[in-house]
Amino acid sequence: MSSVSFQQVTKIFGTTTVLHGIDLTIQDGHFMSFLGPSGCGKTTCLRIVAGLEKNSGGEVKIDDDIVSNPERNIFVPPEKRRVGMVFQSYAVWPHMNVFDNVAYPLKIQKMSKADIKIRVEEILNLVELTGLLKRIPSELSGGQQQRVALARGLVMRPRVLLLDEPLSNLDAKLREKMREDIRNIQQKFKMTCIYVTHDQIEAFTMSDKIAILNQGHVIQMGSPQEIRNNPGNKFVADFISTHT
Amino acid sequence: MWPFAVLLGKLLTYTSGGGTSVFSLAFNSASTLKAIMNTVVVGILVAVLSCIISLPLAWIFARTDLAGRHIYKTLFSLPYAIPPFIGAMAWISLANPSTGILNTLVGKSWIDIYGMGGLIWVEATFLYTFVLLNILGAMERLDSSLEEAARISGASPARVFFDITLPLIRPALLSGVLLVFLASAASFGVPALIGTPRGLYLLTTRIYTFQKMGSINGIFIASSLSIILLLLALIGLFINQYLLKKSKVEVVGGKSPRPSLFSFEKKSIWVHVCLCILISILFFLPILGIIIGALAKVQGVLSLDNLGLQNFVKVFLEIPETANAVKNSFLLAATAATAATGLGLLFAFMAVKGQSPFKKIWEFVTSVPFATPGTVLALAFILAFGRGLFGTYLPLYNSLTLIALIYIVKYINFSFRASADGLRQIHDCLAEASLVSGAGPFKTFIHIWIPLLKTTLLASWFLVFMPSFSELTMTILLTGPGLETLGTLLFQLHEYGDASGGGAQVLALFIVAFVICLNFLVKILSKGKYGL
Repeated sequence: MSSVSFQQVTKIFGTTTVLHGIDLTIQDGHFMSFLGPSGCGKTTCLRIVAGLEKNSGGEVKIDDDIVSNPERNIFVPPEKRRVGMVFQSYAVWPHMNVFDNVAYPLKIQKMSKADIKIRVEEILNLVELTGLLKRIPSELSGGQQQRVALARGLVMRPRVLLLDEPLSNLDAKLREKMREDIRNIQQKFKMTCIYVTHDQIEAFTMSDKIAILNQGHVIQMGSPQEIRNNPGNKFVADFISTHT
Repeated sequence: MWPFAVLLGKLLTYTSGGGTSVFSLAFNSASTLKAIMNTVVVGILVAVLSCIISLPLAWIFARTDLAGRHIYKTLFSLPYAIPPFIGAMAWISLANPSTGILNTLVGKSWIDIYGMGGLIWVEATFLYTFVLLNILGAMERLDSSLEEAARISGASPARVFFDITLPLIRPALLSGVLLVFLASAASFGVPALIGTPRGLYLLTTRIYTFQKMGSINGIFIASSLSIILLLLALIGLFINQYLLKKSKVEVVGGKSPRPSLFSFEKKSIWVHVCLCILISILFFLPILGIIIGALAKVQGVLSLDNLGLQNFVKVFLEIPETANAVKNSFLLAATAATAATGLGLLFAFMAVKGQSPFKKIWEFVTSVPFATPGTVLALAFILAFGRGLFGTYLPLYNSLTLIALIYIVKYINFSFRASADGLRQIHDCLAEASLVSGAGPFKTFIHIWIPLLKTTLLASWFLVFMPSFSELTMTILLTGPGLETLGTLLFQLHEYGDASGGGAQVLALFIVAFVICLNFLVKILSKGKYGL
């Protein structure tokens, strides 16, 4: 697993600046949450790590690889970054069955069929989808589709796993179970995760570190304990109290 | 209730009443089988060529950040608004073996537009827009995270297109291909201008020759041929409905804000060059052909002295039919547009807000005549309103009223769909508030619905006006002395009489300019919702 670091990362859409010089580091094996109200820039940060957006300034590194630095004209496209991502809308491909969905990243790496089969079955066991290989996505529940998306993100053993509000479309009970499962899997592999959410229960129960964002700034960063005991300013105090 | 149902019935009973001898006469002749074969082969090849043109274009317009791609998109969509038979004329000016501009430029005849190849080329260069607009719509609706997930999984942009995008837009692609096939099978102008001179007949041109024979037997043979064409169209319509239903299920509305776009970076200059060459060949070259043809005093001579405005003088001042044709076209198109907008709104109202169990029927009633090839529809009208049948009580045969009626029947689908879309977006509570305020249903309709639907109605009017204005396929079968329209006059000028040429090009130029201006007017008036 790997670390991710942001140095003075900015993002400008047309005339509006959505990220004002973000500085932060996610340590190897840590579970980091980006927490904040909608429109605070947390999803943009995540998509910049994935390479789905280009930052307008600053530098993003995964381990020691610079994956994006517009000043030096460096940009590694998403398919070369070896990151996994789980989308809010699941993004499970409706024209492929569960096996093909999960196997897709391995097929692109031209892994042998036998190896693919072993790896996919192993990962499907891990996310508790054993035996659903041949199902097509429309036959699966929302929770099951989310597990397929998770398996697809994990199967190529990414350097970082990115999760974009993965639980917001699930009902409350399922959400609780998924929270535990994701945290357990992350602990088991000591995997570096970035988790975007506006739900502070998710952030506080799952994370090693939380970065609270508002209007394109990191307002406060620390462990759940630190933030709860010592909110950095009024915004953080209001935000965590109103959402409990 | 709706004349079409009656007409269809009449057509069917009439042809079968004509006896099996007519059918066997029609089917046993080798030329008929040849016409069927040609129709199918041309349709398939046009559809294939349309895909080859459209797929890369759609990808560039919808999935890359190429500068000016919106302008390109409009330019490449423009052939949609221009009647293909005008394109056929343009290509004849360009690549006619003796006087074509491209041939005189080189000094020998190296391209010959007449025949199968030219026919497929001309049809495809106009009809590809059906595929392009269809798949662009589907690509815009596609949830962008499906493609992003594949990028993250390690797939290159090209691989994403083939593994993810293409399979997901397949229903829309197939539906577009089918529309192209049907439009090419139903088209009359292009095969008449480009195929007929070389003895290459399609079903539509065969029907036309039989109908123009004037004998009752000719009409019967024409009708039996038109039934084949109709069957082809109806099968196509049902497959299309099925595909559309499927594409709605598979293509989920996207939430993800902006798709990450592919960047050509330094290679973008080459993309620009390719696009400019392609649009020049597809669009500007034919337009230029028409302009030069319209200005040339003698066709086929390329020099500055040969250019002049005398063709314009001839067409607009000397040919007596021109004034009449312009007047008729405006009158017919305006009447049809007004009536179709009114009726379309009424049908849409019943289909969207109605309570009756027949809600669905309105959609069907308006889409069947639209899917029916114009040639078939016109024949049905001739049979139903001709002498002896209805004709005795309703003397519509050989009248402008009949032509206006057929435009309404054919194009009411456009106004129906525009109105239905508009109505769906207006919540019932707006009307309910008016009812509660004491206005009756009629006053509510006038004071609430009509003002709210203003843009929609305007768009619907133009959507019917534009194709009616330059219609040829149906009009050519229903026209007569004094009933000429711009389309038929243009066709006749091109086919007969006009010795030194140029007259047809003048009219074509007039139609193209007018249609393109109208299109942009619609786009501005509807704030980009309609128009190209």
